Amino acid sequence: MDCKKAKQTVFLFTDDEMEEAALLLLRRHLDACPECARHAEYVRRLILLVRQRCCRQAAPPALRVRILARVRSVRFEE
Amino acid sequence: MTKEPSDRRQEEQFEQAAMPYLDALYNTAYRMTRNAQDAEDLVQETYLKAYRSYDRFEAGTNLKAWLFKILKNSFINEYRRRQHIPPQSDFSEIEDSFESQVSDEVTRHMPNPEQDLLEDVLDEDVQRAIDGLPVDYRMVVVLADLEGFSYKEISDILEIPVGTVMSRLYRGRRLLERTMLEYAREHGYLRQGEPAKMRSRAAAGDGDEAGPSGEGPAREFRRGGKR
Repeated sequence: MDCKKAKQTVFLFTDDEMEEAALLLLRRHLDACPECARHAEYVRRLILLVRQRCCRQAAPPALRVRILARVRSVRFEE
Repeated sequence: MTKEPSDRRQEEQFEQAAMPYLDALYNTAYRMTRNAQDAEDLVQETYLKAYRSYDRFEAGTNLKAWLFKILKNSFINEYRRRQHIPPQSDFSEIEDSFESQVSDEVTRHMPNPEQDLLEDVLDEDVQRAIDGLPVDYRMVVVLADLEGFSYKEISDILEIPVGTVMSRLYRGRRLLERTMLEYAREHGYLRQGEPAKMRSRAAAGDGDEAGPSGEGPAREFRRGGKR
């Protein structure tokens, strides 16, 4: 695998969407090429940043109650 | 009018299977609508539609993805129409294939300062950057990075080819990266106490005394963010 291909696939690698054979080739390239390894590490950190740092909104408890009440009333509406 | 026992059973089964996804659906709805009231309405509508068509759900298939597909359809129908956005936004124009997009990756230079800048990105920067993404990119990024769906699942939920998922995700993340680094650069300037204009903005925002130098406790405070 060359640097071009490595940079094209690194984002699939981070998303765990690579097939076994391609993964092996990429790993081998990253072991041998510090520049691509640095790039891969940057992409990994970037994606991790989004995954871990965007705070989640939990549903308000009242919404659960309202949804259950509406679901239970559906049969009566029909 | 009393309920048939079979109705009760279906209700219970639906509740048990579908309600565990409430927080995930709400979180996505919130990131899509960017406000609590619309998110609540959207999620409630999703559950009602899901319940009404529950007999069409194939047992054993991916219920979470099925619920998210209903959420997506409700969002597109109700909210985009309400905001007078044409159903076909002109995305196709800028939506190059994944392959052509990543080819510019090759010439991309990755200097060290950019790597270090990631350190300066705050939690609220991530959120602001996601909220600022165009809606189609935001949807893909939220499903992939906040909800952890695979490309295939996202393709099923959004009813678009896997290649389109990849290209939107790629472009969406590049936009995110650019915005987050911009924010990080601002924080960096503040820390070094460089431009006076930005400094005064920070002092007004933080309301603390450590403003001018931006070193020490103030920096620690900002870096800590909310976890």
